[in-house]
Amino acid sequence: MSAMLLNKEKWPEFVKKLTGKNLWAPKLDGEAMRFAPVAEGEEVSLDYGNTRVPPKGATFPQTETMYRFLVGNMEIEEPKMDEELVLLGVRPCDARAMKIIEKLFRWDYDDPYYLKRRELVTLVGLACTEPGLNCFCSSVGGAPDSSEGLDLLIYDLGDRFLLEAVTVKGETLIAETKELLTDSDASAVKAKDKLMADAGAKIRRTVDHDGIPEGLPGLWEDPLWKSVSASCIGCGTCTYLCPTCHCFDIQDEVEGFEGRRCRMWDSCMFEEYTLHTSGHNTRPTRRERTRNRINHKYNYFVDKFDVIACVGCGRCINLCPVNIDIVEILRRVKEAL
Amino acid sequence: MDLEQLRKTAAEVVARDDVKYLIGWKKGSYGYRVAPVFVEDAAGVAELIFSPLCTANLTTYLTLVEKTPLPRGQEADKRKVALMVKGCDSRAVVQLLVEKGIHREEVIVIGCPCPGVVDQSLLVEKYGDTEEPVEVKWNGDGFMLVRGGEEIKIPRDEVLAEKCRLCRYPNPVISDHLIGAEVEKWSPAEDSGVSELDAKDVDGRWEYWEEQFNKCIRCYSCRNVCPLCYCQDCILDRLNPTWINRAVNFSENTAFNISRAFHLAGRCIECGECERVCPANIPLGKINRKMAREVREKYGFEPGLDPEAEPFQASFKPDDPEDFIL
Repeated sequence: MSAMLLNKEKWPEFVKKLTGKNLWAPKLDGEAMRFAPVAEGEEVSLDYGNTRVPPKGATFPQTETMYRFLVGNMEIEEPKMDEELVLLGVRPCDARAMKIIEKLFRWDYDDPYYLKRRELVTLVGLACTEPGLNCFCSSVGGAPDSSEGLDLLIYDLGDRFLLEAVTVKGETLIAETKELLTDSDASAVKAKDKLMADAGAKIRRTVDHDGIPEGLPGLWEDPLWKSVSASCIGCGTCTYLCPTCHCFDIQDEVEGFEGRRCRMWDSCMFEEYTLHTSGHNTRPTRRERTRNRINHKYNYFVDKFDVIACVGCGRCINLCPVNIDIVEILRRVKEAL
Repeated sequence: MDLEQLRKTAAEVVARDDVKYLIGWKKGSYGYRVAPVFVEDAAGVAELIFSPLCTANLTTYLTLVEKTPLPRGQEADKRKVALMVKGCDSRAVVQLLVEKGIHREEVIVIGCPCPGVVDQSLLVEKYGDTEEPVEVKWNGDGFMLVRGGEEIKIPRDEVLAEKCRLCRYPNPVISDHLIGAEVEKWSPAEDSGVSELDAKDVDGRWEYWEEQFNKCIRCYSCRNVCPLCYCQDCILDRLNPTWINRAVNFSENTAFNISRAFHLAGRCIECGECERVCPANIPLGKINRKMAREVREKYGFEPGLDPEAEPFQASFKPDDPEDFIL
C-alpha cells in the first residue's frame, strides 16, 4: 500500500477534491464536534479530539428506513441506497468500532442495510496526537494509529500530512489526488514513528482486562453491580455515544396511509428495552441493566467474536451525567475476581 | 461549609433504624468530577462532601427508585431516605410534596445553604481538564481551585453556573437539618438568554429551536435527571398509542421537547439539570425558564416554595389572566 505526503498548504485543495464526493467531516455544532456534510469550498479543520457523537451513524443511522408501504397495499418500496460517502477525520478508535460491530452484522445473517452502507463509505482516518483525558484505546487492542477499519490514515506531521493507504478504497483516493501529493521519505516515517510513540505515552487511563471476560459470569450476583449502578439515572447517553453499541428497535410508523418500517438505535439502559408484553421485565432495575452493559462488551461479545466490544474512546465516561466510569467499574470487577 | 458538621449530622441520621440510606455527593473518579453517593452506614459518611462542584440535584433519586414486585410475604422497605439538598434542589422536594410524589414522612432533608456552584464546562474551558484529584472551594466572593498543591483564585463570575446567576433561593426552603449558616441572597441577574429569544419574532424563534432540536439524540437524559419528570408511564415510552415516534428527526424531537416543556410549566424549579446533562448541548434551561417566567409574571406563582400550595396546573382563580387566549 502506498504512502504519500501532502503539504499543508495544499490541504484546502485536497479537501476541495473530496467535496466532489459526498464528504462528511467533524464540524463544530454549537459547542460540540459532530460529523456533518462539508460543502464545496468549506474549510475542514482537523484540530479536535473525539467528536461528541461517534460517526457510527454513517453505517448504522440512528433512524434507518427499511422500506415504505401504503396501508392496505401489499407492495413495499425499498429505499435507494447508492450514494457513496467519504468520512474525513475519523479517529482510529471509531473506525475500529465499525470493524468490530460489522462482525455482528455479518454473524448469523448478513444485514443488508449495514453492509451496504459499509460498502459505500470510505473512512479517512486521522491518527491521534493528543489523546483525550479518558482515552484508553491501547488497553483494549487499539492504538492512536490503529488502521483497523480505515481505508486511509492521515498523520499530522506539523507542516505536512503523511497519508497511508490501508485498502483499495484508500489507494483510489490517493490516485485521485495524486497531483497534490509527493512521495513519502524516510524522514517522514521517522517523524511519524516518534509522533505515535509520544501519543501512546500520553494515554493516561488504563484497563487491565486480563481474566475479566472469563471471570464476569462468576460475578453475576456480586454486590458490586448494585454499588456501581446505584447512581445511574437510566438515560441512553453512554450507549448512544458509544461507537460499538449497536442495539436497535424496529417500529412501523404510519401517518395517514403512508407508512414505513424503520429501525432505530435502542439502549439497554432503558427500562423498556427488556419489557415483555406480559409486563414482566427481565432486567427490572438499573443494576441488571448496568451489569448487562459491561457483560455485553467484555464477555458476550468476546465469547462470540473474540474481541472486546469497547474501543476505549472514553465518551461514556466524559458524558455520563453522574460520573459512572467504565474504567472504574472494570477495576472493581477485576478486584472482585 | 462545615464538613465536620455535615458528616456528624449524616452519621447520626444514617444510624437511625428508620433510615434506609442518605444520598449525598462524593468526590468523583477523577479531576473535577463529583458523583452521587448512597451512604448506608456511619463508615460511609467520610466520603461525603459539599463543594462548588456539587451541581447535581439529587432529588431525582427519590422518584427514580425502581419498585419491583415483591416476593410473597415480603414487605416493602418503608424506611426514610435522607437527602442532601442545595437551595434549588430543595424546591424540587417541596414540589414533589405538593404533587404527592413523595410524602413528608418518607424523607429527611439535609439542607446545605449554597453560595453558588460552578459550571464544570467553564472550569474546563478556562483552567483545563485534569485527571488528577483537585478541589474547588468557596473562597470569599469567589472560588479557589486547589490543584497539585497550587491554589488558584477564581473570580465568581468567571465560572459560576448560569442557574446560580439567576438564583433567587440559595438557601434550602425546606430542611430537617441545616448544615452551616444561611448564605446572604444576591440579586439575581437578568435572564438575558430568555430575553434575547423573546426579542426575536416567531420565525426567528422557530429557526433557533429548529437548529437546537435537530441536535437531540433522544437519550432522554434530560427527562431522567429531572426530579419532576417522574411519571410511571411516560408518553415517550408509550407505543399504543404512539404519541411520539421513535424516529429521530426534527418533527419527533420537537414533539418530545415541547411536550416535556409543557408538562413542566408551573412545576420546573429551575435547577438546570436538564441543560447540564444534555450531551447535545441543547439550551433546555431557556425553555423551562421561559415557562417559569410566564407563570411567575402572569399568575404570580412560583413552584416549589410552599408544601401546602395547590399544584399550579390544577388550580383556577376567577381573576386568572386570559389575555393570551385568542
